[in-house]
Amino acid sequence: MRPERERRLWMYSMMVKSRAYEQAIKPAYLEGKQPVFNMANGPIPGEMHLSDGQEPCAVGVCAHLGPRDTVTATHRPHHIAIAKGVDLRAMTAEIFGRRSGLAGGRGGHMHLFDPRVSFCCSGIIAQGMGPAVGAALAAKLAGDARVAVSFIGEGAANQGAFHEALNLAAVWSVPVVFVIEDNAYGISVSKRESTAVERNAVRAHSYNMPGVFVPGNDPDAIYEAAGDAIARARRGEGPTLIEIETCRLEGHFMGDAEQYRPQGEVQRLKASDPISRYRQQLISDGIAAAELDALEQSAARDVSDAFAFARSAELPTVEEAFHHVFATGAV
Amino acid sequence: MTDVRIPAEIIDEGEGVISVWLFRDGETVAAGDVLAEVMNEKAVAELVAPASGQLTILVSAEVPVKKDQLVARIT
Amino acid sequence: MNVSASTSRVADAKHTESTAQGVDAVPRRRLTIAKAISEALTQEMDRDPRVLVMGEDIGRLGGVFGTTQGLLARFGPERVRDTPISETAFIGAAVGLAAAGMRPVVELMFVDFFGVCMDAIYNLAAKQSYFSGGRVACPMVLMTSVGGGYGDAGQHSQCLYASFAHLPGLKVVIPSNSHDAKGLMIAAIRDPNPVVFMYHKALQGMGWLGTVQRSIVPVSDSDYVVPIGKATTVREGRDVTVVSWGLGVHQAVECADILMKEGIDVEVLDLRTLAPLDRDAILQSVQKTGRIVVVDDDYRSCGLAAEIIASVCESGRVALRAPPCRVTFPDIPVPFAPQMERPLLPSAVKLAEAVRAQFVSQP
Repeated sequence: MRPERERRLWMYSMMVKSRAYEQAIKPAYLEGKQPVFNMANGPIPGEMHLSDGQEPCAVGVCAHLGPRDTVTATHRPHHIAIAKGVDLRAMTAEIFGRRSGLAGGRGGHMHLFDPRVSFCCSGIIAQGMGPAVGAALAAKLAGDARVAVSFIGEGAANQGAFHEALNLAAVWSVPVVFVIEDNAYGISVSKRESTAVERNAVRAHSYNMPGVFVPGNDPDAIYEAAGDAIARARRGEGPTLIEIETCRLEGHFMGDAEQYRPQGEVQRLKASDPISRYRQQLISDGIAAAELDALEQSAARDVSDAFAFARSAELPTVEEAFHHVFATGAV
Repeated sequence: MTDVRIPAEIIDEGEGVISVWLFRDGETVAAGDVLAEVMNEKAVAELVAPASGQLTILVSAEVPVKKDQLVARIT
Repeated sequence: MNVSASTSRVADAKHTESTAQGVDAVPRRRLTIAKAISEALTQEMDRDPRVLVMGEDIGRLGGVFGTTQGLLARFGPERVRDTPISETAFIGAAVGLAAAGMRPVVELMFVDFFGVCMDAIYNLAAKQSYFSGGRVACPMVLMTSVGGGYGDAGQHSQCLYASFAHLPGLKVVIPSNSHDAKGLMIAAIRDPNPVVFMYHKALQGMGWLGTVQRSIVPVSDSDYVVPIGKATTVREGRDVTVVSWGLGVHQAVECADILMKEGIDVEVLDLRTLAPLDRDAILQSVQKTGRIVVVDDDYRSCGLAAEIIASVCESGRVALRAPPCRVTFPDIPVPFAPQMERPLLPSAVKLAEAVRAQFVSQP
């Protein structure tokens, strides 16, 4: 079922906001890391995994979710966090390692938790899947219509945790949707070289659940497939595996020279940028370019506000590293 | 003096085993105390003291026992 | 068989603790540790609908080590779940359930199996509070069996106390008797943090594993808590401190009985909690006695005994009268043949030798 106009505009606005965000992260991340790329330096140290190209996956799925639906995500989380409604200022402050960050600077870019919108991510491949099954079980036991969604990459489909989680989700018949963002590469190793099957969607049959493949990195098609799966889950009909063909326009991590990618591949993908394509699609469906421009400007303002907030935010002290190792008091 | 025997409710046919004595030889027990855990083929059951007094254990844990077997005395 | 005086001291100590919490006077009935754990779970599940239990064979079977007896019949399969052999998935699921406000108790059947699910334990459960700035807790209990000595060989006999106590964000407890087992389990369930609840196979009271009589003590049927993070003095003494936990406590008490006859008065500490370590209790005792021996049935190098001794030595608060000593298992995989395994495990006799050596004059 094609999304309605408002939903399409929402999706577009989230995608442009994501892209603007990643494009703002890029120079900030590179500060202090040139001419020699030493990951430890600069206002954003460590690794950085950008989501350019994968925005449709986030918006097509999150368009169906509310703040109490749990989402677990990966080391490449920003587009999903934004679509889920994570507090942009607190998220950015966290990425900049500031006291006003989501975890006071203790987690950073790969470990973003925002309980207001039931979002979390973690850096170990496939390890967000078990917790999503648990969140779905909690919803089922509470008897409400909440669902959980676990976003993973196609590389995660070869981890033991993937198979265990799918099996367990089916055995318990819980309202969880597993979403594979297939960007064709696990760092430098292509899916073709690492995966025994051509389509991970077929693996769903081993676990007695529907497996859906969505080609083309198209937000509307993703919206439709995700809508079906999430509705099934809310009706108590159990889990679904969705495999989305998407693309990674940047390296695996920033600093990745991507020499393993065939010549011209990235240029070709950028020429077919999903955001540009969707914009053209919306215009040809009768939406005024000016309206889209306004969404882009608003997105750019939100991003620049969040970055300004983060940059001027206080740094944490060393003593604060010792806080929150353990929770205290009643839960 | 009261005999403590394996009741038919715990072991009817075949053998079982006292898996653990909860009191020691020579200790004082009261009627109704759970003295030991007994395993039959299916489950673990509780052997209850029929009287109060001093416990004398006659059969150790992990030794096969049968229905009605004398396993302890209470004096 | 005679009732040893030290056993009644253990029982008295437990009774005093219970009474201090306003609990009924001397409870009559005795429980095995397995029964005590089952009772703690039953009472907490009665009290709090958020508590649920899952793991392999914990439902119909009541747990391979008897930790979940009676739960399935009382609470049903929604709250008492036999899982597939998928530790990563169901321990990960427990993390997600805890984040959603439930209080899962998960059994990892043998601590040795942590290899297939450690990420969910130390990268997810242990860091959930930290990564969320304290906003998302992880109130779960991971209960697991530890210990060898019965021929289960290298992959089913390990202790791994240090492997877990080492990792920030986890609490680790291990009871030596049924009173503490029940109280620690209740405390663990109520704690908003992930607690690894280890139970030693030699102490469970399962018939097929043998048992240690001293671990079977009177247990109150009320819901009481044994505080996490607090060691207890099982036996007061003047001459030397033996630090122990789990099975080691009983070996230490037996060793103390042996040495009393030789005029050596041994103080025995039962740590009860391995993380966070009650360093104050250890230091207070060693300040009094000036001698420390630690019994630890885990692998020797980089073990908890090493941490305890290092803590004492670096404190600057103690002048030791003899070099600190640890009685441990060697740095080898646990061998299968009893002729190999048994002599290598700590024992009361070995502990007594080590304690006597504390009194040999130094050159």
